[in-house]
Amino acid sequence: MPSRLATLTLQMDKLYEFDRVPVSADKLQPGGKFAGLFAGEHVAATEFVIGAFFVLHGVGARDLLLGLLFGNLLAVLSWTFICAPIAVRTRLTLYWYLRKIAGPGVTFIYNIANAFLYCILAGAMISVSATAIGLAFGIKVPALDAIFPNSVGWVVLTFAIGTAFTTVAVLGFEKLSRFAEVCSPWIFVVFIAGAVAMLPRLGVHPNLDNLWEVAKTKIWNGVAVAGQEKLGFAHVLFFAWFCNLAMHVGLSDMALFRYAKRWTYGLFTAFGVYPGHLLAWICSGVMVAAIGREMDPGRMAFEAAGLAGTFGLLLAGWTTANPTLYRAGLALQTVTPNWPRWKITLVAGAATTVLSCFPVFFLKLLDYVAIYGLVLMPIGAIVFAEHWIFPRLRIEQHMAEKRGWTFNGSALIVWLGTLVICFSLPLHLYFRWLPGWFIALASYTVLMASRRKEGVR
Amino acid sequence: MKTRIPAVLSLTSLALCLVSPVLFFAGKISERTYRLAFLLTSFSWFLFAILWMAAARRNKV
Repeated sequence: MPSRLATLTLQMDKLYEFDRVPVSADKLQPGGKFAGLFAGEHVAATEFVIGAFFVLHGVGARDLLLGLLFGNLLAVLSWTFICAPIAVRTRLTLYWYLRKIAGPGVTFIYNIANAFLYCILAGAMISVSATAIGLAFGIKVPALDAIFPNSVGWVVLTFAIGTAFTTVAVLGFEKLSRFAEVCSPWIFVVFIAGAVAMLPRLGVHPNLDNLWEVAKTKIWNGVAVAGQEKLGFAHVLFFAWFCNLAMHVGLSDMALFRYAKRWTYGLFTAFGVYPGHLLAWICSGVMVAAIGREMDPGRMAFEAAGLAGTFGLLLAGWTTANPTLYRAGLALQTVTPNWPRWKITLVAGAATTVLSCFPVFFLKLLDYVAIYGLVLMPIGAIVFAEHWIFPRLRIEQHMAEKRGWTFNGSALIVWLGTLVICFSLPLHLYFRWLPGWFIALASYTVLMASRRKEGVR
Repeated sequence: MKTRIPAVLSLTSLALCLVSPVLFFAGKISERTYRLAFLLTSFSWFLFAILWMAAARRNKV
């Protein structure tokens, strides 16, 4: 068993070998590059669903606008004050920094958890794209409370799209990522065009004098559709904040910010989140209201922008599911030593395709996004404590690396313990991560401080 | 020069993508015309943006 673990560790290190060394000064990138990168990163197929769900959950117009405005601001500040400073000081990816702190064993578990969560996310994107193609074949989108597929047609459709996406991912990621660069500004335009074109259907006058009235009464009217929980300002604020939790508070965007000249480059994330997580969500809300509050992204896109809308939805799913599949493959490669990249991408794609048949992942997307961030959040808190708090309390840093631990037991206990506590907290799912972060931060600090005193491993 | 022409044409196409829904909203064109115009300008964006990228890559090499 120990030799198997050593092999896995060796294999895992080999995969990430290229970014083992901190980024050198000559590789640092200017702020403009970060603005461009983030601007193209936050408009995905899932935006068609998230913005629409706020309407179905009965969010009021004022609550939506203020919630998104401040929630996204908190997300930008989390990137700027939590993620970017650690990345700029260490110039390392989360993988290598976590390895120093928690040991290769914990990093391995983190990788597997990440891969699994990525597969579900890519599966949801495939499901969203399936609604676009399904429209042409008359395949109905499953009902809002569906967990399992509602027809053979849906299964065949998601399988066909999943297979197509996987094939492209297996054949070559680089070409697709170049194509994604072309797609992303246009997909954003599809959102704007679709919403503008739907306004007459909602009764908005060409001089816009009744726009706010229509927004309050016909779009975000504060009435949840049957079977959907009513959400308000705090839910929207927290959702906008945590929807990229794994990236900012969870620190996985250290991979990007290690190239930043200054930690203030975290502010450039505003170029991504405000168009993607404010404008695009508002636009999809307009579109769903115009088609009678029915969760059918395919119909929404087609009625709003015709064939171009359908292609937009398909491309949004494709260009975002593929890098997700690629990342899942990369993370999974750690358990399959010596497997070539294509083979593991195929396995990740197959798993994702199976998951995409289950409509629950896209119909419960808001909850899934919350769980996704929550599961990875304690790792961010552990790294934060180790980086900022330990030096001040004179607790030894990077014990796993210095003492050659495979598993930092304290990190693992805090990670799992925080999740157990979070899932039992008597709070709405959206709010649980915040106390969870402080619990993880405090408990990891206390545990590691006590280990210092006892001098135990 | 070789990158400038496709760059200008692609950005113009993207801008025109936005003009068609605005014209439809203002009641100047029909829904059918809007959808067709949006499809054509979208196609034009992809065509020129890909040419732009290819030219930019050739310039780099």
